[in-house]
Amino acid sequence: MGKGNDLISLEDVSKRYPNGTYALRDIDLHIEAGEFVFAVGSSGAGKSTLNRLLIREELSTNGRVVVDGQDVGRMTPGKVPHLRRKVGIVFQDFKLLQTKTVYENVAFALVVTGHGHRVIREETERALALVGLTPRRRHFPRELSGGEQQRTAIARALVMRPKILVADEPTGNLDPVTTWEIIKLLVRVNEMGTTVLIATHNAEIVNALRRRVIHLDHGRIIRDEREGLYAA
Amino acid sequence: MTRLTYILGAAWQGFWRNPVMSMASTFTVALMLLLFAFFLIADRGLQSAVSLLESKVELVGYLSDDAAVSEILDLKARIERDPAVSSVTYVSKDDALARLRELSEQRADLGPVEDIGVNPLPASLEVKLRSAQESRRVAEEMRAEVGSGVVTDVVDNPQVVDKLLTITRVLSFGGFAVLGMMLLVALFVIVNTIRIAVHARRDEIEIMKLVGATNWFVRWPFILEGMLVGAFGAAVALAALMAASGPVTNALIGFLDILPVSLGPNFIGQLAAGVLGFALLVGAGGATISVRTHLAK
Repeated sequence: MGKGNDLISLEDVSKRYPNGTYALRDIDLHIEAGEFVFAVGSSGAGKSTLNRLLIREELSTNGRVVVDGQDVGRMTPGKVPHLRRKVGIVFQDFKLLQTKTVYENVAFALVVTGHGHRVIREETERALALVGLTPRRRHFPRELSGGEQQRTAIARALVMRPKILVADEPTGNLDPVTTWEIIKLLVRVNEMGTTVLIATHNAEIVNALRRRVIHLDHGRIIRDEREGLYAA
Repeated sequence: MTRLTYILGAAWQGFWRNPVMSMASTFTVALMLLLFAFFLIADRGLQSAVSLLESKVELVGYLSDDAAVSEILDLKARIERDPAVSSVTYVSKDDALARLRELSEQRADLGPVEDIGVNPLPASLEVKLRSAQESRRVAEEMRAEVGSGVVTDVVDNPQVVDKLLTITRVLSFGGFAVLGMMLLVALFVIVNTIRIAVHARRDEIEIMKLVGATNWFVRWPFILEGMLVGAFGAAVALAALMAASGPVTNALIGFLDILPVSLGPNFIGQLAAGVLGFALLVGAGGATISVRTHLAK
């Protein structure tokens, strides 16, 4: 938790909404490159807000959010797309495009960020192989199981070779067996060098993995442990 | 290359995804463009009518039979020095009579000009002007000579030109007003069409932004879609113009006996370019407004 080579650092960060409620309050958080971190806490504790601050979908009211050396709050709007290419994100509801195949969904990220044919083909194949979906590449999302859909979403995030992968309740819609598949995949992604931050409700996986746990409650960090459990 | 394919494909898809709305805005744009083209043509026609009449504008100063040749030449030289005057022609009494004879031969209804021994027609100076606007001033200056023994009367006929200039002014003012309203309607329809397109692609836009597509990459398909609406509108308007131009020209010739409008291929090219350019501008403008308001953040 040193300050020297933080990939993500939040200093004294608060997020207050116009109605006066705090989503986050006095957050100090430092995450180094290569870490695997769970953010736990009940609904509304501030986990999703934390994720949104990292990709500048929201701005903090106070404090400083720094991602990969860049002050997120102070960056010009033109720099935001480049920040987001460094921070891959997956959601509980997958957010796949129903009219596109698995391959097209994954390639989409590269297409809309202006990459060339060759890069798109090679990187998409690599990401599909990584999540084990090469045989399902021509299928549409509705033809896939929940786990396969989430793997497609993870492949879409990884195809940009991000430094950070943020997962917001990635297993919230999945059964226990599939949940383990996804978690194992995320662990492997982490082992390959990507920093992983997972916001979750799932006590079982947190307790089984014994990784760093950040416990949020009413917008504050009430616990930050190296090899933590879901509950103290 | 992939980028371009994507943007063009998305614009094309966007247009056809909601064909009813796209057609509605295309026809609104076409209607506005027809109006635009109509005013361009009318303006052109009136301008050539004005210049045609201007070139015919003459002032005639009738001369006293008693005026000395030197006095007449002196007056002629003075009028010729005026920069608004293009030429001054001396018509002698004999010339005037010869003209009358010629005219009577062409027009049977006037009857033959009988030789009555004395030529009653006065000699005159016919003044051609460069510009119709100056006719009143030049006429006033010539009228000032009446009574000095040389000029007996001055006849000018610039009222036609005056009226035509007034019509041109009224028409262009009214035209701009109607065109302005039509432009607002077209913009309104395009803004709504694009808004629907933005709405239809909101999932795609959300993901584009999440994975780090630039704002311009997100916007371009919509702006191109707006330009597509403009281009199709221009095609419809120009096709309608071409289909109508034959019958309308015939009707005008039948009704007025003349068509004082010279619509050369040059003008038609300019008209088509103007209509298309205007259409693209309106389409892109409407889309930009829409994207600005509905694609915030």
